[in-house]
Amino acid sequence: MVGCGPASRSRKRARQKWQPEGRRLDIRKSFLTRRDLSCGMEVQRALERLHMTIFSQSVSPCGKFLAAGNNYGQIAIFSLSAALSSEAKEESKKPVVTFVAHDGPVYSLVSTDRHLLSAGDGEVKAWLWGEIIKKGCKEVWSRHPPYRSSLEVPEINALLLNPKENSLLLAGGDCQLHTMDLETGTFTRALRGHTDYIHCLALRERSPEVLSGSEDGSVRLWDLRTGEEVQTIEVYKHEECARPQNGKWIGCLATDSDWMVCGGGPALTLWHLRSATPTTVFPLRAPQKHVTFYQDLILSAGQGPCVNQWQLSGELKAQVPGSSPSLLSLSLNQQPAAPECKVLTAAGNSCRVDVFTNLGYRAFSLSFS
Amino acid sequence: MEAQEKEKSAMSTESNKKRKPKVIRSDGAPSEGKRNRSELDLDMKYYSEEAEVDIRDPNKDYDLYRFTCHELQRLMAEIQELKSRGSRDSASEIEERRIQSCVHFMTLKKLNRLAHIRLKKGRDQTHEAKQKVDAYHLQLQNLLYEVMHLQKEITKCLEFKSKHEEIELVSMEEFYREAPPEISKSEITMGDPHQQTLARLDWELEQRKRLAEKYKECLANKEKILKEIEVKKEYLSSLQPRLNSIMQASLPVQEYLFMPFDQAHKQYETARHLPPPLYVLFVQASAYGQACAYMKPSSQPPRQDKKLSVAIEGSVEEAKALYKPPEDSQDDESDSDAEEEQSTKRRRPTLGVQLDDKRKEMLKRHPLSVMLDLKCKDDSVLHLTFYYLMNLNIMTVKARVSTATEIVTPVSAGDLLSPDMILSCLYPGDHGKKTPNPANQYQFDKVGILTLSDYVLELGHPYLWVQKLGGLHFPKDQPQHTVTADNSLSASHMETTMKLLRTRLQARLALTKQYASLEHGIVPVSSECQSLFPAKIVSRLVKWVAIAYEDYVDLPYTRDIVEAGLAEDTHLYYLALIERGTAKLQAAVVLNPGYSSIPPIFRLCLNWKGEKTSSNDDNIRAMESEVSVCYRELYGPKPGHQLLTNQLQRLCVVLDVYLETESHDTSVEGPKEFPQEKMCLRLVRGPSRMKPFKYNYPQGFFSHR
Repeated sequence: MVGCGPASRSRKRARQKWQPEGRRLDIRKSFLTRRDLSCGMEVQRALERLHMTIFSQSVSPCGKFLAAGNNYGQIAIFSLSAALSSEAKEESKKPVVTFVAHDGPVYSLVSTDRHLLSAGDGEVKAWLWGEIIKKGCKEVWSRHPPYRSSLEVPEINALLLNPKENSLLLAGGDCQLHTMDLETGTFTRALRGHTDYIHCLALRERSPEVLSGSEDGSVRLWDLRTGEEVQTIEVYKHEECARPQNGKWIGCLATDSDWMVCGGGPALTLWHLRSATPTTVFPLRAPQKHVTFYQDLILSAGQGPCVNQWQLSGELKAQVPGSSPSLLSLSLNQQPAAPECKVLTAAGNSCRVDVFTNLGYRAFSLSFS
Repeated sequence: MEAQEKEKSAMSTESNKKRKPKVIRSDGAPSEGKRNRSELDLDMKYYSEEAEVDIRDPNKDYDLYRFTCHELQRLMAEIQELKSRGSRDSASEIEERRIQSCVHFMTLKKLNRLAHIRLKKGRDQTHEAKQKVDAYHLQLQNLLYEVMHLQKEITKCLEFKSKHEEIELVSMEEFYREAPPEISKSEITMGDPHQQTLARLDWELEQRKRLAEKYKECLANKEKILKEIEVKKEYLSSLQPRLNSIMQASLPVQEYLFMPFDQAHKQYETARHLPPPLYVLFVQASAYGQACAYMKPSSQPPRQDKKLSVAIEGSVEEAKALYKPPEDSQDDESDSDAEEEQSTKRRRPTLGVQLDDKRKEMLKRHPLSVMLDLKCKDDSVLHLTFYYLMNLNIMTVKARVSTATEIVTPVSAGDLLSPDMILSCLYPGDHGKKTPNPANQYQFDKVGILTLSDYVLELGHPYLWVQKLGGLHFPKDQPQHTVTADNSLSASHMETTMKLLRTRLQARLALTKQYASLEHGIVPVSSECQSLFPAKIVSRLVKWVAIAYEDYVDLPYTRDIVEAGLAEDTHLYYLALIERGTAKLQAAVVLNPGYSSIPPIFRLCLNWKGEKTSSNDDNIRAMESEVSVCYRELYGPKPGHQLLTNQLQRLCVVLDVYLETESHDTSVEGPKEFPQEKMCLRLVRGPSRMKPFKYNYPQGFFSHR
């Protein structure tokens, strides 16, 4: 809420400034009608901002820009370098450009070395980073995964790049993982097995295997070469981490060599994959929506305004408060091209993207306008 | 050599000459003297030395003188020499020489006399000549003076101005073109400018004579016409009573035919006594009313279904008495200042009473006011009374609502139709509590009025739009000396304002009706809006109350709204309670005065298995946005005054969905409290696990937005 205050106040001030300008009659005449309209619009925009949810973020290949997608289908591009520079003004914390990408919410964003890929309800769209920065927002292509026709278009909750095969993994509402060849744009394979929609994906670094976490409570490990399901962990069945009052859904997962961390309805838990046993249960009541390994730490965020930092042993190292009532996504800008923009950004149930220049505290917030 | 010789000869001749006189004197002088004497004796009988002077040559005398002196010197030197020799024979020589010297002395004496006589003669001559010159000089001066005088006379003559030069004459061409030849006489005048001027003057005189005659004629004509007018006036004044009697007689006919021309006429008569802003308002409002009446195609006479009627109230006599010279009403600033001065002069009564009087004087209304009745389709009427505060130069308005059918005002609707609140924020931010005239603050300071808001109940509200309707404009950034009523300003705001007023009244009436049902726990969904909701709704509205702004701010879950600037103390606040089984949903509602173009904003708090608000439950947040953000589909039929009802109904629906789709906690024994009755495609969706709140008509299932 802190970030939103000055913005709306400044807009109000602008309105007041505008008011005494009605000197000549013709101005005065238009002034009443225009102001009346602007006020209705103003209220609506304020309401929309109040109910905005930022689902996804992605850093540009150059590391200087951050794309954020919200529930109204808009993607806003923020300039991290401008906002982090010493002469940053209030204006530089606003989007460089905002454009409507999808009809529904933008659930997932991912960047290749040239494109920004966005996913919403049943379609993936690609945008050229080079053009976006110059504010030319035209989609390069758009693809629909092969869905069986149904009353409802399934959403795409997760996008994952597989750089070795130059392919894109998509998963979401139809309970399947789709692989798409980025070279040809064709959908090559569908991995079936989940019984409810898929929340999240994670790629294992060495072996060509991918992990998926689903609403049905299971984490499945897939072999991308054969398309077979290798392993299934039904997290909610393990007493250490099960929390039936929250449900069994897996909302987030991350992996590092033989380790995997996942959370959601069940508690956030560190798993040893080969033995499929939970090793550490992190003591946190709120369901987590995003988790990631960072150096020897685990960062997680979810219900509640804080970014949690955990030791692998299960100790809570720090809880850094952000400005949103609850967080949905974290993004670590580790692009080697822009070391000065190495920041952690967190977004969730507000129109603001919190920027953490180090892990200790929130430096400022970028905000949708 | 020759020259020398010549010189020598000259010298010799000179020396001869010198010697000659001596010779003459010594030898021939007596003979000559004798002859001279005889001559003179012959002529004048006596010797006159003075006459001799004229005959003798002075130069020769001079030479003689030098010669004599020289001889004397020589003789003296010879005597000296002889004496020094001292010889005896020398005595004779000395004697001889002495005689010679005596002769020389005589000659010298003679010469001296002659010189004296000559000097005297010369003096006389000089004197004589000088006198002559003086006489000539005098003559010359006389002549010069005469010349100067004459020159002066000439310039005087040249500078003489004749009267005719001041007379503007017709131009040369015109003169030759128009003047008759006997006056212009071009053959004479062409060459002679003097004659020409004389001729032109003659022509001028001629023309002036003619014009004077014409002028006399016109005067006579005018007299005649004046007399005629006089006669006609008498005739017209005699016509007036007759016309009046005809008018009187025609009144019943007018009434019968619904043509109240007479009434309108009377009103216009009264309108003349209105102060300028009220007059502007009256004129513009009547004009707008007539325009509206004519725009409406109807078979009935136009005045019958008038939506806007304008009338003047108050005593005309008082208004007349108020300002005898009607110009006084023009500038109130100076008026009030004058009064200020007067009241400071008589500082007799106690200070309090005096201040009270001053305040009353300052807040005095004009005795006339303009009544505007704005009629809606359902026969409810908004009565607006506009007043003009003379000393503050602002206008105020009082409002009253009358409805066709008596409605019982529900408790929660107390403020909706109250005269104090109904017009609040007609334009955004126009609360009508502060005076729009910046000059007033200084006037208030003098009499100790803090703000106008303490007096608005009594005086009416000085909304900005009221000033604009009266053509008064008070710019904030540039001081204006006298604010005068501007017709065009009023005209430019009339239509918008009237539409806003009508919308406001309709919205408020619609809300009042809705509140009456809501207070009884009934959500009055109209038949047109049934399709927006499923047939079976289990959640029920149990409470609908108005709350104060402070109470709203104190609610723990409304912070965001207040911080976003969406809740101001001029808005209206309500609390709704919706129940289903053990679940209680509290909704705090902000009603913007601009309802329904600006939607009511809902904030929710669900009491069910703990307290759930938008900050800790994404689905509660989604429910809020379902009613507050996606309100456009809830407007229903135009003009959308059913919005609040539909929002509450949707709130009931989404509460049903929320409760029914809540995942069953397998660890708890027993059946679910709320069995799923709604048809849903999917229960949850997306990263924030949204429930399907969107109702699809006519299939009747719920899906995600």
